[in-house]
Amino acid sequence: MGLIALGVVYLGGVWLEGVGSTLPSKVFPRTPLYFLQVAALFPHAAVNVIDYRAEAWMCRAHRWAELDTRAYFPLDPDDKENRFQRVMHFFREDRPTMRALDDYIVTQHAAGGRADGIDDGETLGGIRGLSLRLPLPASGAPLVRMQRKPLAEYPQTERKNFYHTPQSKLKERCGYKTVPVAPETEEPQ
Amino acid sequence: MSSSRLWDWIHEPLPVIRLEILRVAAPLAILGFMSGRLRHADEWIGDHGFHVPDLGGDWRQPLYIAPLPANLAWALAFVMVASGLACAAGVKTRASGLVFAATLVFVALADRLAAFTVTKMSPAVMLAIALGPSGTRLGFDAWRKRHAPGKRAKRLRPSASLRFLQLLPIFIYSASGIAKARGDWLKMPLVLWTQLHDTYQTTFSFALASLLPVWSWTLMQGLVLAFEMGAPLWFGWARTRTWAFVFGVGMHAMIGLMFGPVVWFALLMAALLVGGWAPEAWLAPVERLAERMESREETVEEESE
Repeated sequence: MGLIALGVVYLGGVWLEGVGSTLPSKVFPRTPLYFLQVAALFPHAAVNVIDYRAEAWMCRAHRWAELDTRAYFPLDPDDKENRFQRVMHFFREDRPTMRALDDYIVTQHAAGGRADGIDDGETLGGIRGLSLRLPLPASGAPLVRMQRKPLAEYPQTERKNFYHTPQSKLKERCGYKTVPVAPETEEPQ
Repeated sequence: MSSSRLWDWIHEPLPVIRLEILRVAAPLAILGFMSGRLRHADEWIGDHGFHVPDLGGDWRQPLYIAPLPANLAWALAFVMVASGLACAAGVKTRASGLVFAATLVFVALADRLAAFTVTKMSPAVMLAIALGPSGTRLGFDAWRKRHAPGKRAKRLRPSASLRFLQLLPIFIYSASGIAKARGDWLKMPLVLWTQLHDTYQTTFSFALASLLPVWSWTLMQGLVLAFEMGAPLWFGWARTRTWAFVFGVGMHAMIGLMFGPVVWFALLMAALLVGGWAPEAWLAPVERLAERMESREETVEEESE
């Protein structure tokens, strides 16, 4: 009888949560509520194709370069279920998480041994996190197969930066007194 | 439906073979989903990978669990695989199902980043499978029991677990359909089409998107919405049930083919439909297999006597 009641509560919770009722969030603590969030699948149209990327500041070269985060986030490397994509999706506005991500990437690169697109001997001062917001094709127009291209091939209008390592941290990691400006790229701020 | 009729419906004897199908298919679909994660257990739930710090009650973090030491992460991965396979093979079915469900709860909470619908719904699915009469007709436990003295396994048994597993996809479809209707699905004709261009894209979805006229995506969008919103009616009414079953399985086949990693979710949902709603006549080959194994073993026992 108790298990039947539990089943009824679970199914009711899944349904109410799925249709957008606020009742489950008022009744259930966060942990059980999380297990009810399974039904609101793809309710909205996609506006853009979104892909999250990172750049790293190379201390000696004095410039930003694209860093292939898949080296440090090997689960589902080529789709939006990749954990780096998920960190950015959920936590890009959350400073503690982004700082932790910044530290993780810089430390992992320093440890060496993974192909992230930047020479192992190069010290990283910090990272810049951004999203690519690629336009959808016009309906009826010939389609192009989705593929990952280097960041440099996307125009600035399709990029949106939302995190960069604080200047103080960058100076500390690179041993700079002042942060140099790379002539061919943006400042690291 | 009055409460006594509902009670009778819950306790109506059902073919145990339905639960056996789910007991085999669901853990395999879940393990398929987990396989990419399990290969990197030390990075996924262990301290070799990135983990979101303790955000102290943030809504995006249902519970903070510190990453495990790498050895423990691998041990947990082993327990997950072993218990999932044991349940699918019907070895110590209840115990292995419960252990598998417990590992699924842990990983769902330990890593929000790699948690999706399958991660969140699979503990409930496995709990229901473990608590029902699973493993009594097919699998290792059933084989062992047939060699022990006692009654032969029943073909039909009341099972609230199976009722739960039948209702779960219907509740998900219904809620999902309403969420879609409240979202963009009634306002925009090409919602489905807009989902075909990102990193979920497969060769199949690209080919379909290139070949089919744009209006066909609007038609499919309408059919999916009508199916999901009307799921309680389509599955509740005997006349439409088989068609609903066929449409549902077809829809999940398309989802699996068109949206890359979503294939495991599609397989799990298809398993719930087959185990829960396939017409009984269509389950006859599995039923005959169980009966043949039971009678063969009885014959072998008689001959040896």
